[in-house]
Amino acid sequence: MTFEPKIVGFLCNWCSYTGADLAGTSRIKYRPNVRVIRVMCSARIDPTFVIKALAEGADGVLICGCHPGDCHYTEGNYKTMRRYPLLKRLLADYGIDDERVRLEWVSASEGKRFADIVDDMTERLCELGPSLVKSALATDAVER
Amino acid sequence: MEEPRIGVYVCNCGTNIAKVVDCDAVAEFAAKLPGVVVARSYKYMCSNPGQEMIVQDIEEQSLERVVVAACSPRMHEQTFRRALETAGLNPYLFEMANIREQCSWVHDDGAIATEKAQALVHAAVNRVARHEPLERMSVDMCPNTLVIGGGIAGMTAALELADAGKRVYLVEKQDHLGGNIARVDLTAPYLDSARDILTYLVTRVLEHDNIEVMTESRVERLDGFVGNFKATLGSLANAADGNAAVDVGSVIVCTGYKEFDAARITHYGYGKLPNVITSFELERMLRQGRIETKEGRPPQFVAIVHCVGSRSEEYHSYCSRVCCMTALKYAHEVKSALPKSYVSDVYVDMHAFGKGCEDFYRQSSEVKTLFLMYGRGEHPVIRKADPGDECGMLIEVNELLSGETVEIPADLVILMVGMEPREDVDDVAHLVSISTDKDGWFIESHPKLDPVATTTDGIFIAGACQAPKDIPDTVAQARAAAARILARIARGKLVVDAVYAEVDEDRCSGCRVCNELCPYVAIEYDETKRRSHIISALCKACGACVAACPSGAIKARHFTDEQIFAEIEGVLE
Amino acid sequence: MALRINPKLIDELEVYGAEDVSKCYHCGNCSAVCVHSSDPYVFPRRSMRNLQMGLEDKLKGGLEPWLCYYCGECSEQCPREAEPGETMMSLRRWLTSRYDWTGISRLFYRSWRWEVGAILLVGFLTALGFLLFGFSQGSITHYNGSNAFLPSSKIHVFDWTLAMLLLAVLLSNAARMWWYTVGRDRSVKVPMKSYITKAYLLPAHFITQMRYAKCARKTPWLTHLVLMLSYLTMLVLIMFFLSKMASGPKIDWYVHIFGYLATVGLVVGSVLFLRNRLRKSSAQYTHSHESDWLFLVLLLVVTLTGISQSILHHSGVDVAANIMYVVHLSVVVPMLALEVPFGKWSHLAYRPLAMYFADVRAEGLTRREPASVPSEGLRAA
Repeated sequence: MTFEPKIVGFLCNWCSYTGADLAGTSRIKYRPNVRVIRVMCSARIDPTFVIKALAEGADGVLICGCHPGDCHYTEGNYKTMRRYPLLKRLLADYGIDDERVRLEWVSASEGKRFADIVDDMTERLCELGPSLVKSALATDAVER
Repeated sequence: MEEPRIGVYVCNCGTNIAKVVDCDAVAEFAAKLPGVVVARSYKYMCSNPGQEMIVQDIEEQSLERVVVAACSPRMHEQTFRRALETAGLNPYLFEMANIREQCSWVHDDGAIATEKAQALVHAAVNRVARHEPLERMSVDMCPNTLVIGGGIAGMTAALELADAGKRVYLVEKQDHLGGNIARVDLTAPYLDSARDILTYLVTRVLEHDNIEVMTESRVERLDGFVGNFKATLGSLANAADGNAAVDVGSVIVCTGYKEFDAARITHYGYGKLPNVITSFELERMLRQGRIETKEGRPPQFVAIVHCVGSRSEEYHSYCSRVCCMTALKYAHEVKSALPKSYVSDVYVDMHAFGKGCEDFYRQSSEVKTLFLMYGRGEHPVIRKADPGDECGMLIEVNELLSGETVEIPADLVILMVGMEPREDVDDVAHLVSISTDKDGWFIESHPKLDPVATTTDGIFIAGACQAPKDIPDTVAQARAAAARILARIARGKLVVDAVYAEVDEDRCSGCRVCNELCPYVAIEYDETKRRSHIISALCKACGACVAACPSGAIKARHFTDEQIFAEIEGVLE
Repeated sequence: MALRINPKLIDELEVYGAEDVSKCYHCGNCSAVCVHSSDPYVFPRRSMRNLQMGLEDKLKGGLEPWLCYYCGECSEQCPREAEPGETMMSLRRWLTSRYDWTGISRLFYRSWRWEVGAILLVGFLTALGFLLFGFSQGSITHYNGSNAFLPSSKIHVFDWTLAMLLLAVLLSNAARMWWYTVGRDRSVKVPMKSYITKAYLLPAHFITQMRYAKCARKTPWLTHLVLMLSYLTMLVLIMFFLSKMASGPKIDWYVHIFGYLATVGLVVGSVLFLRNRLRKSSAQYTHSHESDWLFLVLLLVVTLTGISQSILHHSGVDVAANIMYVVHLSVVVPMLALEVPFGKWSHLAYRPLAMYFADVRAEGLTRREPASVPSEGLRAA
């Protein structure tokens, strides 16, 4: 069986989730690997959400918010923008490949863009292969 | 923790979901999940029988939580929450799994889509088990309304509200009311005078006791929330006048449009060829009652070019909707002013969608308008005619109905410039915190179910700031927005969403990180307790503070860490 | 090279009867419904388009109007009441005026006053001429014999002289027609062989009107055929058997039987067409140009005066018969001299010629390089 990566998507309610809905109403087909969790704003995405998803077996995490300057809450996405590099540094320290966690801006009118991002990320994760975070944690627990 | 009794309902949405997702299999899968006591698949969950099924199950099976796997929660979350309330259950003990917009409509493979739907239902079941009953807040609805923009939309909305006895603040940037309609001569398709419409509206607005008109003014700030906004208004004419603050319950944005800059399309020679003019320049001539070339002669050949800036890859992909009928109006007006002239109408497609418009199109061909069709993505090229020619200019175009490349004689060329968002559209969007689409038009809450509301509660939009539209549609939207507001004012109180953040004072260390983060200044620091505190009415539940709190002391109601963790586990199991 | 649009042409054509062409929005229903419309002669939509845009050269070089018999189907199907059938009819009138180098046709089509005036003048001059001629060499009381007022042998000479003159004018106009529609177009090379092998088409179309027979409605074709054959029969009788016709009171049945049949055909045909036009019974009869009325009225008057003359002559009332003969001639001569080369009558030559030219031209087109043949979708309809 070919490897089908699991992606957890955290989408802000106002832009990106609406954009993903628009992909649906426009019947734009994309890879079925993403599972979306809706949050009110990308600024709500606690780094622990990302780590939790990876620990639970996600091969990738996609964070989507409104384009900079377009936030429904004025500047929530700027907070995400600043929080994200810190998270990436942390993940790098854990040895988690840089491409497994992505931050993208998707507006409410960008259904196509959302579909393209999902397809592209799925493609990249297929090349990277399965994430070892979950199994490593399990081994770690057994050894302890 | 004792497991709550959960009911799961999988909607087939006719065949919208069922033709890709095996809904029965999803229901069977859900039935085996912890806590699930009922799991059903049904044709239309949002229908009355569908909702009654939920109500009945809640009563008969003593359900404590409900999950509906159907369309997007943006579509029907409120519908099902009301069903829960009918059955006496707190509406927040409900969760939706989006298996239509984000599953059946975007995937083709039935087996994979079914598996994804099951994962989404699993997440929803996990999450709903951790939901808490929440009480909604009731706030007062201030009966005053702020209308931004004094064009036909703004004036119509203001009058509708004022006639109902409510106070309206009408803010206009220019020194007079009227907006774009003040630049127009007659209106299509019945050829009524725009001036008559305008004079009637302006007179009524200015004389109305309930309307306070502020020309040469702008909204500096908008604070607060639905039913309780505070708007700061400033004068553009005289900065020394200072700012005025008014209390309003709702805002209608009617900022309209501006016309496309024809000089951007070099083929048309606008700005270089003196007798190539825009539609608004012709309107000025018509209003002055004299159609003539720059040389002061009445033109013998008049050409009208459609879709200038509209329906093109390079400029705007959308249709500006009013230009086709306006062009026909020009054909009529030119013909009646200059009966010996010849009018060529150079178009791409004739959009005669509105009431009376198809008849108007027909009448225009009866007055011998020569319709010449060119292809989308092509540009007619306008050049100066040769000295021996009977006309001043020639328009070369690949004419589709004849299949020939032709030269159209013209002494006066009218460019039907399309509509585009105003330059300050982003400032306005920020001011009232609403969004714009890819073209810069304000986004409505739902194109069909809620076309005049926005994603920000209490902010409404009407007229061409939402998308290009004609006068009848603009007026309809303006009155619709006013009606929405009047309904709320009539109720007196507003129920606002129970979703907001709160601080657990026992865990708060008083570090004040969150204080600076809040865009709504909803977090107060209590000096005596040395703890932060959230004013729930001001909180809009973005959750920025929740994610930032180093002590984990802030809880986002309905979006708690626990709920989201449960959802993560659900999608990955 | 771009073609120059002439928005004024449509105004000119209005005088010829094309009043509704600007209403057309090019759905193509008319071309779809027409049985005669097929590649490379697709109409009426394209002709309507060329007219709307005022592409004068294209119109002048078009054979399509002559390939239409105006059954009226297209006008009935038109969703915009743009009257494609009447437009084709008007284009035939306009083309007639373009083929005619004398300019008389143009004058007549643009002003019925001129046309009627000219007919009256020629009629008056004819009557005057024949009266003077009759009195100078014969007796009004004699119809036949050596002292005849208008002896058939002399009239015969007059007939042939007139016929040759008309033929000359008609042929010169036909040559212009060939030049506009076939000769001028450099992109079409028609081999001489085609002209010869296709030559049979000319008499075939002329006599059978087989194209007309293809129209959905058969009655107009039959009426038209009867009228045309009667006219032709009468022409042959007069041109070749005039002496036999006039030599009474003994009747040469083998000649006269044709004469009677043709007379019946002419009366029935012209009365039927007149009735249809008066009643506006279907699309092709609703718009009658002055030239259409003149054509039928003249035909009927010629026939009726001819009948009267025959009855009077056979009744032996020679004075009355001679006077009626002069009357008859003063209608026949203007009809032939003015209408055949310059008026509606000319279609008896142009229509079969057009069909012949269309076929030879189509052969020339197939020999053309395929790359230069228009293939764009919208061009087809």
